Amino acid sequence: MARVTLQDVTKRYGDTVAVDRVSAEIADGEFVTLLGPSGCGKTTTLRMIAGLVELTSGHIRFDDQLMDNVPTHKRNIGLAFQSHALFPHMSVAKNIAFGLTNRRAPRAEVQAKVEEMLDMIEMTGMGDRMPSQLSGGQQQRVALARMLATDPRVLLFDEPLSALDRNLRDTLKYSILELQRRTKKTAIYVTHDQSEAFAISDRIMVMNQGRVEQAGTQLDIYLRPETEFVANFVGDNNTLQGTVRAIEPGTDGIREVVVDCSGMTVRAIAPADLAAGDAVSVFVRPEHIEVLPDGSREGQDGVLRGKIVQLVFEGPTLRMTIDADGVPLHVSVSGTERLALLDQANASVWVELRNPSVVKNPPAV
Amino acid sequence: MSETTAIGGPSRFRSSGRWLTSGLQHAYIWLWMALFVLPFLTTVYRSLEDPKGGYSFEGYRFAFGSFQDALILSLQTTIVTIVLNILISIPAAYAIVRYPIPGKRTILAALNVSLYTPGAVMGLSLSLLFAYRLSSIQGSFWALVAAYVVGTFPLMLIPVIVALRDLPTVFGEAARTLGAGRWRTLLRVEIPLLGPGITAGILLTFVIVFNEFLVTLFIAGKGNQTAALTIYNILARAGFAPSTAALASIMQFTSFVVVLLFFKVFGSRYLKGTYLG
Repeated sequence: MARVTLQDVTKRYGDTVAVDRVSAEIADGEFVTLLGPSGCGKTTTLRMIAGLVELTSGHIRFDDQLMDNVPTHKRNIGLAFQSHALFPHMSVAKNIAFGLTNRRAPRAEVQAKVEEMLDMIEMTGMGDRMPSQLSGGQQQRVALARMLATDPRVLLFDEPLSALDRNLRDTLKYSILELQRRTKKTAIYVTHDQSEAFAISDRIMVMNQGRVEQAGTQLDIYLRPETEFVANFVGDNNTLQGTVRAIEPGTDGIREVVVDCSGMTVRAIAPADLAAGDAVSVFVRPEHIEVLPDGSREGQDGVLRGKIVQLVFEGPTLRMTIDADGVPLHVSVSGTERLALLDQANASVWVELRNPSVVKNPPAV
Repeated sequence: MSETTAIGGPSRFRSSGRWLTSGLQHAYIWLWMALFVLPFLTTVYRSLEDPKGGYSFEGYRFAFGSFQDALILSLQTTIVTIVLNILISIPAAYAIVRYPIPGKRTILAALNVSLYTPGAVMGLSLSLLFAYRLSSIQGSFWALVAAYVVGTFPLMLIPVIVALRDLPTVFGEAARTLGAGRWRTLLRVEIPLLGPGITAGILLTFVIVFNEFLVTLFIAGKGNQTAALTIYNILARAGFAPSTAALASIMQFTSFVVVLLFFKVFGSRYLKGTYLG
């Protein structure tokens, strides 16, 4: 159990920067996910924490102990790999015992721990099986038991579920969370799958091109993306271009930004760095666009008129494309009101954009 | 009725055609099998001849009695060569596969030169070297071993390189995250997983070294006659005797048993591929 601190952690391969000055403080017992597309540097960051990749510059600390030059086998970590990485020539019991025998633990203690771990992963009595005789889910559970047997300070997960089928992924991700909660260990989890990240994390760090774009809770990331990348990578978003008209002290002391956008006015929580006249992108999620029953609210904030140009019924949701004065808006409707819209192709409707978020456009290069 | 004959006729024809094809296929395979084992069977047959007439195991009794030293020497040199080949090839394979070495291909080609060198050339070079610089081991047991190692270590190196290339690095990494240092990772995890390559190398080295003749002819000392060399020497000096054929059969049989055991012990476990199962 340890606090993990990354300070300007950087990895360069020749001229390519894989990880670019990543800093983070992960609290003792916290479950943090590094989320990002492939090649964003999340796995390299994790491997540097594990000591499998050397840092080019920066520092990594467990509590106050500097880990930069501590070899992997002395870091006391547990790492779950994408492929379970069970030793194919050792039985399940020998795999679980491997870390303990490395520390020359007494035989009786090793045996007791192996039994305890097998009970924990609900595989009691299966210690004599070889890894090749297990199902994919069992293999990954043995891998988890193996990494927990040594009571590591930090748990690291490198996309441990990506090779499994969907049902198994769903079950196992909650097993992982449950194990982490029970052992109260600090966990760092790498994935490109946002639903996985949202399901299990205390906090998410979204990475792109070697940098952390945004770190925060699921709600922060989903409702208040701070960059265009985060807005588009996490879930779907409609992007509208606008100009800041004013910043107002809104209700509850939360500053609001008023944006002129596609012939209407949109209000959103104001990010810190905005000023009147700034060019901004306004993001609205398809599920946050509501189709209004009539035109009585026309002219109000976030309300505009458009024409349904495409309707796709996907079962639980209805996806529509609405053309609002040449701007295509993607809308998704769930709940029973979607059924009433089924025959509305080419109809003219009013929609309200809710929970928009605003990000300042980067200066043109 | 007429329908049945219409169908029955051609189908009977077809089945007899299939029988013929299958028979020819079997005959073809058995012909080659017979040609392959014919020399061996002849040797065994001649080894059972009794000099006093009739057939007996006299030849074998004589072979075990007087050629025992030669057989033991062959086994000893083979085993020591295998051990040395393993000790040389594993570090070499790691260097070649896991580390960036400039001119890797050239080095690898140079290491394999002994495989393409004719035995006589090899024997001549080695006997010149021993006479010129290494007279202390000239003609000794270690001279034989040195020659065999130089000649056969690529047979160990290549399968180990292939096995190491196929071995995912994730096993070593997993071992390290579980607290195993370099040596423990190597001994407990990586070398066992290189088993297929190492055992293939052992098999190849055994078959070649145990039966090696030409290089041995050039460098063996008076007291160091291997089994293969003994067969030649007796034939050259005294002509054919059933005991010589018996010694030859024993060698052939030993090689055969080793190869058979290899597939029995390692075949099922290793030839299918160990990892990712």
